[in-house]
Amino acid sequence: MMQNNKSEELAQIRKSLKEMLVKDLSLEDINPADIKDDEVLFGEGLGLDSLDAVEIVVLLQRNFSIEIKDMDKGKEIFYSIDTLANYVYDNKK
Amino acid sequence: MYIMGIGLVFAGGFGIEQLERVLESPWQRPAADSKGIFSYQVDLAAIRDKGVLKGLRRSDKFSKMSVLAAADAVSCSGLGGLDGKRTGLILATAFGPHVTTFGFLDDILDYGDANVSPSKFSNSVHNAAASYIAESLNIQGPTLTITNFMTSFHSALQLARLWLDSGSCDYVLAGVADQYGEVLRYVYDNKLMPAPDGMIRPFNLNPAYQVPGEGAVFFLLCKEPGGKILCKVGTISIGDDGADGGKTSDVSIIDTDGMLPDESPYRASFSDSPLAAYSPLFGSMMIGSAFNCAVGALMLKRQEYYANPVWENPHGLKLLDKTGASGIESIRCIRYDCNREKAVIYLNKG
Amino acid sequence: MKESVLITGVGVISAAGGNLAESLDSLADGRRNAGQVTLFQTPLDRPVFEVAQIPDKFLMEGRRTAGLAMCAVDEALRNARLEGVLSALRVGVCMGTTVASQLNDIDFYSTFRREGSAPLTAVERYLDGNLASFIAKRIGANGPKMTVVNACSSGTDAIGVALSWLRGGLCDIAIAGGADELNRVPYCGFNSLGIVSHEMCAPFDRDRRGLNLGEGAGVLILETMNSARRRGITSGLQLTGYGSAADAYHLTAPRPDGAGLKKAIARALDESGIEPSIASGKISFINAHGTATHDNDKVEGRVILELFGKGIKMVSTKGCTGHTLGAAGGIEAVFAAAGLRAGWVPGTTGFKTFDEEIGISPVSGKTAISGAYALSTSLAFGGNNSVIVLRTTD
Repeated sequence: MMQNNKSEELAQIRKSLKEMLVKDLSLEDINPADIKDDEVLFGEGLGLDSLDAVEIVVLLQRNFSIEIKDMDKGKEIFYSIDTLANYVYDNKK
Repeated sequence: MYIMGIGLVFAGGFGIEQLERVLESPWQRPAADSKGIFSYQVDLAAIRDKGVLKGLRRSDKFSKMSVLAAADAVSCSGLGGLDGKRTGLILATAFGPHVTTFGFLDDILDYGDANVSPSKFSNSVHNAAASYIAESLNIQGPTLTITNFMTSFHSALQLARLWLDSGSCDYVLAGVADQYGEVLRYVYDNKLMPAPDGMIRPFNLNPAYQVPGEGAVFFLLCKEPGGKILCKVGTISIGDDGADGGKTSDVSIIDTDGMLPDESPYRASFSDSPLAAYSPLFGSMMIGSAFNCAVGALMLKRQEYYANPVWENPHGLKLLDKTGASGIESIRCIRYDCNREKAVIYLNKG
Repeated sequence: MKESVLITGVGVISAAGGNLAESLDSLADGRRNAGQVTLFQTPLDRPVFEVAQIPDKFLMEGRRTAGLAMCAVDEALRNARLEGVLSALRVGVCMGTTVASQLNDIDFYSTFRREGSAPLTAVERYLDGNLASFIAKRIGANGPKMTVVNACSSGTDAIGVALSWLRGGLCDIAIAGGADELNRVPYCGFNSLGIVSHEMCAPFDRDRRGLNLGEGAGVLILETMNSARRRGITSGLQLTGYGSAADAYHLTAPRPDGAGLKKAIARALDESGIEPSIASGKISFINAHGTATHDNDKVEGRVILELFGKGIKMVSTKGCTGHTLGAAGGIEAVFAAAGLRAGWVPGTTGFKTFDEEIGISPVSGKTAISGAYALSTSLAFGGNNSVIVLRTTD
């Protein structure tokens, strides 16, 4: 039961993140629903860059009240939709 | 210095062919909003050929207008791109990306100092547009953004000539951009006379009526005419009446557009040449000189006069009343600023 | 090689001091007059370098940047023996800034968006306050005027524009440099980019964590040789070259290979008649941009190492002034001129540990210099790279 709740919640978080990224990073010609859960955010995947990274930090603050204090850890957290969703699930207030 | 290409984005559309269509058509009242307030606003969605904007997803309207106009100037010139060419870039603006700046202030007020958007901040700096242009067109020469309110364009043109004459660059992309916004609208309507019927009356002089506009114009400039050119740039003078070459020209284009509440100072610049004013096609902007120069350059290239869009002439001034083909040798473009300082650009047949 | 112009006066104000003498004192001692923001309310606590005091005669309500600029201009004009005589001469004014060019008054905007209207005082000050025009009017300069808004390279670019004017005959004398006040808008903005340090900045240091913002103004009086001769003025300092090149890469990140900076340096050296292969022998030092951000210092340091070798004396003065944005190029031009004249450069305050990734360390204590030339480099937000070359003939 708990696992199902977590699973549903993670799915909801992933969906919100995809919509947030497309809208707030102005990703052109991308439908949030088409972004894979294991899509790599930077480089070859979604193609985000360093400015997007700091924008995501602010979006996490605003939407989930999560503060990323150490940007060096950011590389792991921001690796993919999955890693980002897991981080949000673990740290959201 | 020669103009090889012109690119522009204005309320009437995109590109010099569209500018020609608008020049050859009767004047049309600009759009009004639900409160009946008129303005000349660029409709970016209506511009079909926006390939150059791909990859500039974060850029705001100010930057998008700038990039479109700059790319269009290069395309118009027939130069085939700027790769490997020693090109400089000068963008002149009166207010910069103020809409985005106020958007960033919204962030500070709504979310607090620690939760503002870095993308919004990055786009709110005056030189963001020039950075996007350099990236899109691969310009690796000197790039400069400058601001001088009403003489912004003149200063840019003057500097472009120095860069070309000194051999720092083989080409200079020099242009202007300014954006309409609600805050600026409020400022204009309080300090200047809004035109109640949406009509700028360039020959009224006093009172002078304004309808705010927005847009971008870029000129691709070179020192020697190697290929296609539109016209030659002659004397550029700012605040130096002595340099206004005897005031002789085939037509004088005046930048009367209501940005000064009293445009009577323009009288001092009148001479035998007939007057023309095209601000009713673009709107009132401190950078309006560039748009008028674009019209002047077109006239010289096509060897064809374009009619004044608005004819009201309460002072019986000598207006340009010819249209169609004619031998045009030189055009004088005149702007007065709020210190009554005159800036003049002479354009000559190439 | 292109025509050089004389530097007949300098003026500077920053957290390091209210004039050149005070500033050099602070730089020599490595004094860091930094602390929490006092100029405006903010919950952010990043240290900043505020100017301790602007002299009363330059204090103007809502015009802090202009006040800083006028203070530096005043010192420079006195230096150059130009007070009171400008209207008879062809004098241009070219100033770089960022904050003063923006209509960003928070009180005005906050009232406007709440009520749909607001008093226009701040707006009127802004419309009347184009920095170069404002200065020109105050001092009676009637030559060309231009305000350069090229982010962090504005001051250096303004000097470059002024050099073009003098070479092109638009004026005989030019007041050129930059000014910027500490302002809440860029303070929030730079912080959001994650490049503002929570501690005192450490330029080129292995453990650097970002920049500290500062404020100030720095101007040079540039003059053609003929003009100086006519006025009976001599100077052992010259501006010999300017080079500028865009990265054409990214809005906020510098080009990793430093190609733009290399081009800018090459152009400045070429204008100065310095052959690149022997440049390192002729250049006594480089006043680097050295903001203490990870990216800037890495790119800039590696380019300097590649072009000039490990032995080049490189210094960043931002450890004592903070990053003054549009003023930086002007302030650092003054420090470079002063260094050439005095025969020493200060240590790079804040630097402690060599960074292998950069491969070169800045000078870390007051250091004697020899050689006729100095460079000042600026790398701007938005990807512009600008460099000036100065020379001493003494």
